[in-house]
Amino acid sequence: MIEIGLIQDIISTFLLLVGAFFVFLGMVGLIRLPDVYNRLHATTKIGTLGAFGVMLSIVAKLGLEPIGVKAITVGLFILLTAPVAAHMIGRAAHRHGVGLCKESVIDEYGKEHNK
Amino acid sequence: MKRYILYSMFLGLIWCFVHGTVNFNNFLIGALLGPIVIRPFRSLYGFENKISYMNIVRKIPKLIRFFYVLFIEIIKANVMVAKIILQPKMNIKPGIIAVPIRTKTDVGITAIANTITLTPGTLTIDVSDNKEVLYVHAIDASDPQGLCDSIRDDLEEYVLEAFE
Repeated sequence: MIEIGLIQDIISTFLLLVGAFFVFLGMVGLIRLPDVYNRLHATTKIGTLGAFGVMLSIVAKLGLEPIGVKAITVGLFILLTAPVAAHMIGRAAHRHGVGLCKESVIDEYGKEHNK
Repeated sequence: MKRYILYSMFLGLIWCFVHGTVNFNNFLIGALLGPIVIRPFRSLYGFENKISYMNIVRKIPKLIRFFYVLFIEIIKANVMVAKIILQPKMNIKPGIIAVPIRTKTDVGITAIANTITLTPGTLTIDVSDNKEVLYVHAIDASDPQGLCDSIRDDLEEYVLEAFE
């Protein structure tokens, strides 16, 4: 007979490790990718899942305690706001004339706005 | 009036979640504070449109399906970006492409823009002035037409069903 607390601990630790690993990957991507737009890919997508994983680990550990419910709410708000932040940063960068990196193959937004 | 009641209930629920304990007292406090929040931001809540309770109830299964698809896509996006980051040699062809969209309402455009950002390899930069074209930054833009098609067929269907 395995205790329920042990299973909770294992799930919680696993989710925490997955979340922390993805946050780490996001930071590596921030350093390695060439320009601001590609870096936004790394920080928004991977940062979202990383933070969400950490929040889920809190929920798995504590169940539906007040802190657990708050963690779910925080996760959902991150899911809602991270794309908006990325969109605003990307647009501001493009309007200030930050160019795409030299590997880029196409820029239809620039064509439209630099006539 | 109908709108105030509906949004107040929704905000009351959010208040419960932020507070941490879901019970009737908290729900009531949140619902009573709701109109104070809604009043100054009337223009954001679309008061000019008609609304019916049946319509909203009918959309719930489609919303659940949409969030299910979104969840799968987020996992795929993360694995894909993680693969690109961990490659020893960067081999990417990024670029910004214009993607025509069929969605007309503001809520629908917001939903599809956020969904595009959270799905594999794409990031919304801007929407055109006439609200017909989204400018999307793709990490692999070697096939613009294929990307447009995949956004239209895979994502926009669900967004149209859930939010229009």
